[in-house]
This record gives sequence, C-alpha cells and structure tokens, in this order.
Amino acid sequence: MKHLKAINNKARLLDKAVAEDRVEEVVAMSAIAGCAATVDPGWEVDAFGGVSSLCQPMESDLYGCADPCWWPAQVPDVMNTYPDWNKDATNSREDWRNLGSVFPGDKL
Amino acid sequence: MKKTMIGGALRRSAAALACLAAGVLPAAAANEARPLEPGSEYLMVANYPNNLNVVDLASESVYKTCPLPDAFGPGTTQIAPDRRTAYILNNRFGTIYGIDLDTCRLTFRAEMSQGDNERAKSIASFTVSADGKEVYAVQNPTTIHRDHYRVGAPRFAVYDTRAGLEAKPVRVFPAPRQANIMQAGEDGSVYLAGPNLYKVDVNTGAMTVALPIRDWQRSTHAPLDVLYIWPVQTPTRDFTILYTTAKYQDDKQDMATAEYQYGYLNVNLKSGETEAREFGPLTEIYFTGLRSPKDRNIVYGLLHRLTKYDIAQQKLVQAAELDHTYYTVLSNQAGSRLYLTGTFNDISIHDADTLAKVGQVKLPGGDMSLGTGQVFVR
Repeated sequence: MKHLKAINNKARLLDKAVAEDRVEEVVAMSAIAGCAATVDPGWEVDAFGGVSSLCQPMESDLYGCADPCWWPAQVPDVMNTYPDWNKDATNSREDWRNLGSVFPGDKL
Repeated sequence: MKKTMIGGALRRSAAALACLAAGVLPAAAANEARPLEPGSEYLMVANYPNNLNVVDLASESVYKTCPLPDAFGPGTTQIAPDRRTAYILNNRFGTIYGIDLDTCRLTFRAEMSQGDNERAKSIASFTVSADGKEVYAVQNPTTIHRDHYRVGAPRFAVYDTRAGLEAKPVRVFPAPRQANIMQAGEDGSVYLAGPNLYKVDVNTGAMTVALPIRDWQRSTHAPLDVLYIWPVQTPTRDFTILYTTAKYQDDKQDMATAEYQYGYLNVNLKSGETEAREFGPLTEIYFTGLRSPKDRNIVYGLLHRLTKYDIAQQKLVQAAELDHTYYTVLSNQAGSRLYLTGTFNDISIHDADTLAKVGQVKLPGGDMSLGTGQVFVR
C-alpha cells in the first residue's frame, strides 16, 4: 500500500481498517454477493488515463463486463437480478438498440 | 420518471416488434448428431443466446452447434482428455455442464449452489483433471436470508465426472478468496490462480505457492497487477498468466521514473516447471497472452491489437491492427495459426508468423462475450 494514496472516502475507510486491524472485514466484502460487490473505473478512461486503450467498439466489451458484474454501476445485474436484460440483444453489435434501462418494478 | 418508464416500455415493445418483423430468432442448433472425426482439429466456443459451437479448423467453418440448457454466461469451456466431452461453466456462473460433443447430449451437471437458500458462483474457476475422472471448481457461496445476505467462505469442490446430471461434491476443501482460473497438472495436482498461483493437492486440499503474485516481494519492482479469467488449454501445456509491473530505477523506488513492464507467470502442466519474468515494455493492455508452440522465445498478446514479443530481447517485434477488440488468443497444435475469440460473434484467424489476418468464421447467434474457447484434436 505504500505507493497508494487514499483520495476519496471509501479509500480512507480502507486505510482506517488497516490501522484498526480490521482488514479481514474488508476482505470479506470482496466476495461475490451480487453486482454491487466490486467497483472499478468505468469505460470512460483507460489504464493510461486516455481513451486509446478502451475496447473498440464499446459494444464489443459490453457483455464481457456485464456478465461477470465487472462494472456494476453502468449496466444492470444480469448475473442475479435482471438476467433477461439482453434477451432481445444477443448480438450486441447489431441489437444494442434493444437494450433498455431497468427499474426495480421490472424484476417482479 | 413515469414518463421515462413509459417511454422505455414503448421502446422495448417497438424493438420486440421490429425483431419479429425481421424474423430474428435465437440461433438454432445445427448438425447436433454429427460426430467429430478422429484426427481432425477443432475449436469449440460458446456464445449467446446459449450455444456451444464446434468449428472445423481445416475448412474454417462451423461444424456443428449444440444448444445448451438454462442461461448463458460466462461460457467458459474446458476440453476433457478424451477430446469428446466438453465441460462448460454457464447458467450465470452457477452450473458446470458436461456435453458429449458427438451427440450434443448433456452427460454431467453440477450446481455450484449446495443449499436451497444458498447462491454460489464460480468465477471461471473450474477445470477437469488430466485423467478426466474429476472436475474441480472453486465456489463462492452467499446465503440468502430474509433480511440479509451472509457471505460464506469459498470452497474447492471436487466432483466425480461419472456422477451424471445431479453431481454432488465428493470432497470439499477451503479455498482462498478471489480464486479464479485453474488448470490441471499431469501429476494430478491443480494450479489455481488467486492471490498467488497455488498448487493444490486435490486429495488433501493442501495448497502451496507455486508462483507468488501478491507475495512476490522484489525491491527492484512494484507489486504485480494481474487479470485472468480465460483458462486456455494450450498445445504446449503451458498455463500462462500475464502481469504488469514497474521496474524501479534505483532503491528510491520512485514510481514517477519507474519503467512499466509486461510479464508472464507460466506453469508447464506437463513438467511442473514454473517461470515468471518480464517480456516487454507496457505500452498497451492485453487480456490474454500465449506462448508460441513453435518458438519458446515468442509470446503473443491480445486485446485491441494482436502482438508478438521476443522474450529474450524484451521487445515488441510485430503488431496487427484488428477489426475490433478480442479477448482470448488460441493457437492450433502446429502453432501456425492464431484464433482470436471472445467479445462479438466472429473468430478472426491470423498467420502466427506475420500476424496477418487470413480468415474469419462467423458464428450463428450472438456474442461470445467472456467465454473461453479451446482448440483440440479429436
């Protein structure tokens, strides 16, 4: 951790957990418990802070990221809560217009 | 909000009608009863809506398409040593299936969840033993209570491949958190990629570090960053994982002046030999890498471009622009062709020496997404 500096509240909480010897509680939350378990940067910026290393086109990376709940904030949880979100868009390159927003009522 | 919801519903209805009008239906099975031919080389890969395709590599065409039960995702495959049975993790990371490729018949089924109120997922963490008698999986269970979820301890589960369609674990051991892909060694052990690359004794559950990842402490380099979710069974029996790191200029360990590098962790599943080393500068991202079957000094990288590195010289020697991003690079046994898979529903075929595109196979149905295909000779 010596090369990482906390710059937001969540990261500061992580630092605090280390200081209080409560790392195990943080580690436990990295297990899969639904689509809100992991948080990563989105599709907007690549590993170099630019855009040239983002997937081309964006749709090519869509299900590879949605299926494993990689980026939970940007797409519905197809692993558990909205498994039929893309049933009318199995070919993302051609069918992406069939993908819609989801709302809590949709899963009932 | 209400207006948006109505708009969304109308849009979805209109889209559904448009699909019906255009006659767009889920890809149908094809040649289900067509047996594979001994001696022929095939590539199998799964895709949406929920198919397992077998591509004949000599004719570069789809040989047959097996429909799969339940739901798609992630479509990670492993070929059994008999070169007839395909194992696939699917059903939203929740079930491992065995498919007889000659008949498309379902021969094995193991649910990752073990209880009524348990939801367990395997994050591409499964494989078949070198003798084909057992399937291994790391399962991440969550117990669903009325008012809360309880995250359980991950477990390494062992299945008898003859257990049929209601397979239950015959042995269960504790597993590390964040366990991911695995491959079976020919000595009966399993190599599991997690916080470190572990060698697992499948009879006792004992795990030793075959190659350190999180625990690789080098004063000359920054800790590794790794990404692996594609367990490719390679012709050379190499289990290869890429990593990135940064080489410090001096003992001040200043990241601002460090040189970023790509490297690989490699276990040869035949010999058990392990190797970890840098092979070139980090200038672009790769999701998978592959040791050349023809030349041990060559490693390929793939994501937005297909690239080739001279390992000894630590140098990028060739690169090919691609039609779009692909995740997984596969090779034929001879090492003369590379097959780029994952993401959309086309396989891009490249000459392994020049990296030039020499062919393409379009799959029936939709995206391969994250799914890992395998090349094998029947």
